[in-house]
Amino acid sequence: MLEVKQLSVSFGAVRALDAVNLVVPRGEVTAVIGANGAGKSTLMRTLAGLVKPASGSAELDGIVITGRAPEDIVRSGMALVPEGRSTIPELTVEENLHLGGLWRPSAERKATSAEIYEMFPVLAERRRMRSDTLSGGERQQLTIGSALMCDPTCLLLDEPSLGLAPLIVTQILQLVSQLAREKNLAVLLVEQNAVTALRVATTGVIMNLGHVVRVGSAEEIAADDELRDAYLGS
Amino acid sequence: MTTFIDYLLGGFSSGAVIALFALALVLVWRSTRIVNFAQVGQAMFTTFIALAVQVATGSWILALLAGLAAGAILGLIVYALVLRPVQRLDTSGSIIATFGVLISLQALASMIWGGDPKSFAPPVANDGLEIAGRIWPISWYDILVYVVTAVLVVALTLLFTRTSLGLSMRASAFNPEVAKLSGIRVNRMLAFGWALAGVVGAVAGVLIAPTASLSPNSFDILLIFAFTAAVVGGLDSLIGAVAFGVGTGLVLALVTGYGEAGDAPIVVLILLAITLVVRPGGAFGRGKSRAV
Repeated sequence: MLEVKQLSVSFGAVRALDAVNLVVPRGEVTAVIGANGAGKSTLMRTLAGLVKPASGSAELDGIVITGRAPEDIVRSGMALVPEGRSTIPELTVEENLHLGGLWRPSAERKATSAEIYEMFPVLAERRRMRSDTLSGGERQQLTIGSALMCDPTCLLLDEPSLGLAPLIVTQILQLVSQLAREKNLAVLLVEQNAVTALRVATTGVIMNLGHVVRVGSAEEIAADDELRDAYLGS
Repeated sequence: MTTFIDYLLGGFSSGAVIALFALALVLVWRSTRIVNFAQVGQAMFTTFIALAVQVATGSWILALLAGLAAGAILGLIVYALVLRPVQRLDTSGSIIATFGVLISLQALASMIWGGDPKSFAPPVANDGLEIAGRIWPISWYDILVYVVTAVLVVALTLLFTRTSLGLSMRASAFNPEVAKLSGIRVNRMLAFGWALAGVVGAVAGVLIAPTASLSPNSFDILLIFAFTAAVVGGLDSLIGAVAFGVGTGLVLALVTGYGEAGDAPIVVLILLAITLVVRPGGAFGRGKSRAV
């Protein structure tokens, strides 16, 4: 379980996150939605250790992770899938996949990669090809696969639907919720595409200008027209 | 015709050493996107250390090993004390810092060992071999140079393509943020890249010292040749550095043989200029590898 307590981040005079509280339980998807500039990506990057918080903390299964280096946070079981499908084009599909678990003993790493290839057969077919030959949807599978290579207990997904065709988005998000259930992962999903995100999430969190303005069950938030008009602009 | 072959054979051994220096430049470029102009200075310094060990123990192998260890340590020191602090500045700041390191190392070497050229005894004979009643410009020592160079190139290629460490290094070079998010200790990988380049440069220094003399400035001209080979080869490519390192050696030998020895550096610089105009990415570089 991921627990965020009073987390604040400042960029100069700008308060990007203001005392954010959040609980992400295992086995389900928690969706953070909100307009551009709401602080969603900052939240993700801070949790992953790429941005230093001004105050507050985040705990993964009771262990404080804020203030630690990104590589240590990954090793303690929380993986971020950053915005914009962060595969390395110069490396092959297999190399990109293995990147996520290089620090683990090679036997464990091979077992996990076999599992991931089974989950994404298209990656197995293309393992020797450069990763920039993959389509957008396949590349997103590769990034998620690579994040799973560290055998995480918590997965952070930053806008996985960005730039993908609607059908692929649905597939990816369904996969994410299936992963959460089957692997008992705590999944924090950030999405601008609120409707689709709330469909796979159990809990919805609405952010606006660095604040959490509403936490509720996904159905409740999806059904609230007033909320949608006020914060999501759709 | 035999003169032509003689020139080529002579070019191969200097080419092998240029290739090693070019490899060292590529290793640093790949890990930190800096052209390390201090590389030959580091190699000069570690070769002096190797020479001291050879004089003290009489063993070439021990001298080589001391050179390797010193190369790794000096590479780490230069990276940690100079490059890491200035890397927060822009790229040109880093490049100027490497020149500063070069000048400092040369000054330090002059203070410790003096400016007079010293000779470095080869472990095997460096006289032309007599085959079929003729003396060829290739010696047992040249063959040793080829073998050591080939072993090093193969070992580096295997390291980069077949091991987790190599993959971690490549990922750290291509995209440090993604590497960190994958759990790779990027700073450690960059430091390791500098240490590895220091080792390769040290080998080049120890190999070339017996064929020339060793003084604080004696490797300076090699910097120009190795830089040219690395740039023409694409800066990112190990194969490119080796191919054009050897190629530069051959060009030098032919120009020196048929023309004036003093013209050789100019011809190499002209080749560099032409490459930069025609193929800025280098022969083995990818022009638009990151269109996204």
